[in-house]
Amino acid sequence: MIYLYALSDAPQEEISLDPGVVDQAVCERQYGPISAWISPLAGAISPTTENVWRHEAVVEALMAVCTVLPVRFGSLFADGEALGAILAAHEHDLYADLERVRGRIELSLRVLWEQAAPPPSNQLVDASLTGREYMQLRLQEERRMREHRRQAEALAARIHQPLAQLAVESRQQLLLTPRLLLTSAYLVEREQMATFEQQVESLRAAWPQLRLLCTGPWPAYSFVTMTTVSDC
Amino acid sequence: MSQAVHKEKEVTLLDLLDRILTKGVILCGDITISVADVDLIYLGLKVLLASVDTAERMRKADTGQSRAF
Repeated sequence: MIYLYALSDAPQEEISLDPGVVDQAVCERQYGPISAWISPLAGAISPTTENVWRHEAVVEALMAVCTVLPVRFGSLFADGEALGAILAAHEHDLYADLERVRGRIELSLRVLWEQAAPPPSNQLVDASLTGREYMQLRLQEERRMREHRRQAEALAARIHQPLAQLAVESRQQLLLTPRLLLTSAYLVEREQMATFEQQVESLRAAWPQLRLLCTGPWPAYSFVTMTTVSDC
Repeated sequence: MSQAVHKEKEVTLLDLLDRILTKGVILCGDITISVADVDLIYLGLKVLLASVDTAERMRKADTGQSRAF
């Protein structure tokens, strides 16, 4: 079987890569204008920390020298012919994605806050409540939660917007957990990274009560378009 | 390694797992990680993210260029 790490432009020069998952050699196979970076593999692969980092190390090594589309961990194909048929069927979309991410990197932001959602009222489990009293309490709870959500959206926007202005594209999710105010990703021109970092520092200074956790540069995992099986 | 650097590496590992297991190109090959596996990993991630500043159990990440800043 063939394990696939990433797709890229055909490289201008030979690229030497360290071994990939399960210590297998990584090689390139060209399919028209697209290069696939692969390793032979006997079977399924476990998402151990080492395998995950090996996969990522291959993708990042490629990212340093060419435009790359990162492939989801664990993608296996029966053989080169099967992979080639799929790539040929999606060549146009894949090449469009390569153009979209060319010269760009992904930066990640997580914002933690201490303002937990208000706890539900203990009164709601009081068996002596009348139906009307119960519904009134439910309504109060709902209003408190909506106000909490509104505060979160307003605060997240004040962090996200200045960063999104530095990005070509961005993605954001609110309150994935009660403490995780904002989870976002930014597709940024590589030369804009220093400016982005400065903006993060400015935001940290302006919002000392928040924790801004940033990582990158990442391959553009969050900005590829072929991300569901139904696209195949 | 200072505690701050250790924590930064854990944040980086969390971001990596979040990306590599749930994002990136999907072609028609076999994704050998089952949805249940990813859900379990992701559930673990969410629990960890809820207390990311005290999480000490994740293994250190020592390869790759990506870093916390």
